[in-house]
Amino acid sequence: MAYVATRGGERAIEQSQRLFCAEMGDITPDRIAEIRAAMPYLIDRIMGEASLYDEDLAALALAQTGGELYEAVLLLRAWRTTQPRISVAEPVTQDALFTHRRISAAFKDIPGGQVLGPTLDYAHRILATTVLDGQVSTPDPVTPAKMASPPRQPSVSAWQAENGLLSPATSDHLTGNDIPDVTREPLLFPAKRAHTLQSLARAETGGVLALGYAAQRGYGQAHPTVNELRLAEAEIVVTHPRGTRFSAGRVKVSQAEVVSKKGSQLELGFSATMGWNEVKVIAAATLDLNSKGAPKGSATEEEFFLYHTEGVESSGFCIHFKLPHYVTFQSSLDAMRDAKARKAAPEKSPEPAE
Amino acid sequence: MSLKTLTKPWEAMAYGFLDGSAKREIRRKMIKAIAVPGCQMPYASREVPMARGWGTGGLQVSLTLVNPTMRVKVIDQGADDSVNAASIRRFIARVAGAPTTMDTLDADLIQSRHRIPEEILRDDQVLVLQVPNPEPLRPVQPNMSIARQMHADADYGRMWLQLYEQIVRSGRVMQGASYPSLVHGRHVMTPSPIPRWDVPKLNMAQHLTILSAGREKRIFAVPPYTRVEPLVFSDVPYKVEDHAGLTCHRSGTRGFFMNEIPQEDGSSAFEVSDSEWGVKAIRRRDGEEVALGETWYKNGRMPS
Repeated sequence: MAYVATRGGERAIEQSQRLFCAEMGDITPDRIAEIRAAMPYLIDRIMGEASLYDEDLAALALAQTGGELYEAVLLLRAWRTTQPRISVAEPVTQDALFTHRRISAAFKDIPGGQVLGPTLDYAHRILATTVLDGQVSTPDPVTPAKMASPPRQPSVSAWQAENGLLSPATSDHLTGNDIPDVTREPLLFPAKRAHTLQSLARAETGGVLALGYAAQRGYGQAHPTVNELRLAEAEIVVTHPRGTRFSAGRVKVSQAEVVSKKGSQLELGFSATMGWNEVKVIAAATLDLNSKGAPKGSATEEEFFLYHTEGVESSGFCIHFKLPHYVTFQSSLDAMRDAKARKAAPEKSPEPAE
Repeated sequence: MSLKTLTKPWEAMAYGFLDGSAKREIRRKMIKAIAVPGCQMPYASREVPMARGWGTGGLQVSLTLVNPTMRVKVIDQGADDSVNAASIRRFIARVAGAPTTMDTLDADLIQSRHRIPEEILRDDQVLVLQVPNPEPLRPVQPNMSIARQMHADADYGRMWLQLYEQIVRSGRVMQGASYPSLVHGRHVMTPSPIPRWDVPKLNMAQHLTILSAGREKRIFAVPPYTRVEPLVFSDVPYKVEDHAGLTCHRSGTRGFFMNEIPQEDGSSAFEVSDSEWGVKAIRRRDGEEVALGETWYKNGRMPS
């Protein structure tokens, strides 16, 4: 008999994958289309965390993993990293965003107006159980407003800067491949501004919420006011090798500005991500707002929250504890047993240090 | 010369999965790591089709080093047939077309999680160790940027203090695996969670060891013929696991690092942790002609 069934491990992992996939059945183009149409916010969430904007691939990742979100994001990230970089789009500015929803908690009305847009904020959270009895739940039609709100609006912080209430952010004037890219360089601290914003944009929603909420509850120094929350579409403007500038399409983006009211000026915290994900950008902007001067090791310190909200890394490490650890365990047991034996018979430990 | 002669037809995936820019970065960081033994070099660490914490750092190094003629061995906790080792081996073979082996003597590249094989590695072999936590100072300083500064200053006082406290409290150093070790007299590194049994194998070894943490994005190395000294007080000698007298109940081999298998009668059986060493010992016992390499440990002792 062989010492181990040499290929046992490989057979076992093959079968365990089959068992997982068997539950979901066939993955069809129809299924992908249905996921994409029915769950835009879920698609947005994982596109943001994967930092890959492709609704079909995101829907495919969801279908392939049965909705195991961490696995879906990992699939997309692993795919993304193999893709060539054809072009870097031009920077997107706030006032150029095609805006669907934009609200400010800081002022009753703002230049460009409060635009409620699509939201469940004021919905009564009641399950439509009649669907389970066989009825179709058809959404009531939307009545267009008499006057459309302007599609492009300045940011609230721009008005505040004009009025001397806050110092406007200064541009580093980097463009194209000169912009530091956290997927191609290690994250070191103090982090480059681009790395911080990119990391928050890619961060896992639940993780950002947990730490952002901790900061909001009082573990942070600054209490945020939502200066502006915006759901929009951004034009992806690239330059053709022949020199023509053109729009390659629009992507959904969310962004949040939060401000603190301490001191003589407002402090600004900012976050943006791909896809529409309000909770994430408000929480991330809160962390950004609190990170300046945060004590080392606190939950609002940049190193702490950027490391611990990285979903692919944190979920991977968490599940790695399922791997066998019997060598390390054995090594610790050995030390523990020896220490116990020494306690029981101290005279039998002849080492000079004792 | 035309564009056609300069380019290749489109392929779904680069050779060895990682694209050229990722490999170039890892090669550069490996060279830096070799140049400053034991010093952690940050790298971008690309996402690979495997979960973080499951050997993605080791995998990126293996995928960078591998070529179609390199024979690859992958072990996890000493075993070639462990499910994750099988998965990594299958992946490397699939994307790099490299032949695989389980025999340490036949391997050119060995990716390992938490063990160094019992047979002495040669100067033409490369050992890639998977590293969960590259920072030996983590228990005394969880903040990476402060720890980095401490390495720069060779500020290891708290490390020593921790070991001293363990001796005072428990009568001995309680560090199990990942025993902090001074490399080339300068940088303290974690040898990755290999047992204390394996740390002396790194000292003045003929082979190159690359340690890579994918999730934590750090590469470090022990070049051939480099001093690796476990941190010990001069009057409290380094102690490896008390496995010298244990015998493998399956292969009969003795004097190597063992897995303890609890038995129903309350006792323990032991089997050799280096699974392929055990396999070869059984084959030889059954009359097969099997090449057994020279081992680091002789009769359960490491010759000094």
